[in-house]
Amino acid sequence: MKKQTMLAVAAALTTLLLPLVVTNQYYLHILNLAGIYTLITLGLNLLSGYTGQVSMGQAGYFAAGTYVSALLMLNSGVSFWVAMIAAAVFCALCGVVIGVPAMKLSGPYLVLVTVGFGEIIRLVILNWTPVTKGAAGLTGIPLPSAFGFRVVSERDFYYLILFFVVLGTYVAWRLANSKVGRTFNALREDELAADSMGVPVNVYKIAAFAISAVYAGVAGSIYGSFAGVASPDNFTFDDSVGFLCMSVVGGNRTIGGALAGAFILMFLSEALRAFQAYRLVIYGAILIFTVIYMPQGLAGLMDVYRRRRRPEGRP
Amino acid sequence: MQYFLNGLPLGAIYAIVALSYSLIYASSGVLNWSQGDMVMLGAYLGFTVVQLLHLGFTPALFISMAVVAAVGVAVQYFILRPLRERQSPPINVVIATLGVAIMARNIALAIWGPDAQNFPSPVSPAPIQIGVLSITRQDILIVVIGILLMLVLHLLLHRSREGKALRAVAQDRYAAVLMGIDTGRSDAVAFATSAALGAAAGILVAPIFFVTFNMGAGLGLKGFVAAVIGGLGNIPGAIAGGFFLGVLESVTGGQISSGYRDAITYALLILVLWLRPSGLFIRKNRQKV
Repeated sequence: MKKQTMLAVAAALTTLLLPLVVTNQYYLHILNLAGIYTLITLGLNLLSGYTGQVSMGQAGYFAAGTYVSALLMLNSGVSFWVAMIAAAVFCALCGVVIGVPAMKLSGPYLVLVTVGFGEIIRLVILNWTPVTKGAAGLTGIPLPSAFGFRVVSERDFYYLILFFVVLGTYVAWRLANSKVGRTFNALREDELAADSMGVPVNVYKIAAFAISAVYAGVAGSIYGSFAGVASPDNFTFDDSVGFLCMSVVGGNRTIGGALAGAFILMFLSEALRAFQAYRLVIYGAILIFTVIYMPQGLAGLMDVYRRRRRPEGRP
Repeated sequence: MQYFLNGLPLGAIYAIVALSYSLIYASSGVLNWSQGDMVMLGAYLGFTVVQLLHLGFTPALFISMAVVAAVGVAVQYFILRPLRERQSPPINVVIATLGVAIMARNIALAIWGPDAQNFPSPVSPAPIQIGVLSITRQDILIVVIGILLMLVLHLLLHRSREGKALRAVAQDRYAAVLMGIDTGRSDAVAFATSAALGAAAGILVAPIFFVTFNMGAGLGLKGFVAAVIGGLGNIPGAIAGGFFLGVLESVTGGQISSGYRDAITYALLILVLWLRPSGLFIRKNRQKV
């Protein structure tokens, strides 16, 4: 137990002091992006891993979050925080709108609804030129400020994103270990049984969509200010696929898996830049090997390791 | 009416791609996301055969179908068979086929480069006028070859030994195993046939679109949409769904808005799935899909 506390303190100190050591702006940028993707993956794990509803349209919520908050800041001059709350509310509504047709569906049909949603959002952004500036995208998205500090540099953003990742992880962890999380698991394992035990199945399924949408929306809101620009090209089907890969490679039935998946795939895709043209070929191969040989993702691997260290009788 | 006519060749392409999705889904329950990239590989291989070996359109079609069929079998044998043996969750299978798609796309990018290639049409580009309507020879060729392919597939499925085995596995995999059918073999047949269909679609569509390394993404998605409209795993449904989608796109693109065309398609699709979860053309199956 003591060893664990020490590990936790060491991990906390490392994350807090990391930007003081890592001064390379590029590395910080990658870290920040990975943090933003972690938020999306956290929501996706609650939806796909816990509830078992696969979504290949998370980029749609991500895009909606970015554009709603960026447009509010640009056109109405509201603060970053107000814009973020508006984006989260809008995304929650989108989640409900998709959750309603999705509650009757499973498997490929559900996948298609989520893909369709992601594409609709992207196409609306692309074509609604008077508001969204179309393919040219938005530029000069205002920077956030907190307690009188303006968040400007990569390092400032590191702490802002760290705050949200910690908050998001905490909320997801509490959710997962509450009645809600157990109900989500029950829905995945046997929907009919859950229904007959008196669980309001549809309410929980729609709620899972809304929660994952809020995570992606908040991530989008941060992303807009962080990147300063946004265009429909940032939110394609391939991005949705990328989020799903992060979720599965990390291990989609745990909260820690979301953190691991987002960071590892993000760094992997950067590290593979050395291979230039073959970067994504190797990336694809690694994905395939992971899902064949590590079906529960990295989190599953950790579980196996832990069980080996602690033989039967000691939980 | 002109829009309806324009939608037919596109519909034939979608129908072929939708067939390839449905065939694999029916026989092995796999949602194969690399199907669109088989279309792309087919187009590139056909292009290479025409350019380097100076062969005609027909040999290019057959060579490319054969090679891509082999790729399909390799994907089945090296990736989906181990996944099935480990009883992996469906989401892992989806990710694996997405991995194949990413690999195929980037291998093509590495070999053929990022530039769009112009695939020469085997027929003259001059359109044929029928009254007020016009149609190009390439469009007619697509529809004719498309329908021929569907007929051949029908004969294969109903007359050949492998086809019958495939249909038995699609109906009840467990019972088929008990009857002594080699499901590994029938899976390979399904993947080979689907990949070959994809390659044919790629060569047919190549003269109207340019050949690019990411052409498979859009076509694959549309083929999947068509397959779902017709009821995934349903062979006649896939054909109907393909033509329906082609015509729908052509009409909405021409009459309402070309920018919002795909958005309208997807919105309609979500509506269809909400109201009729088992596809537009199935009546009986009322159970949850």
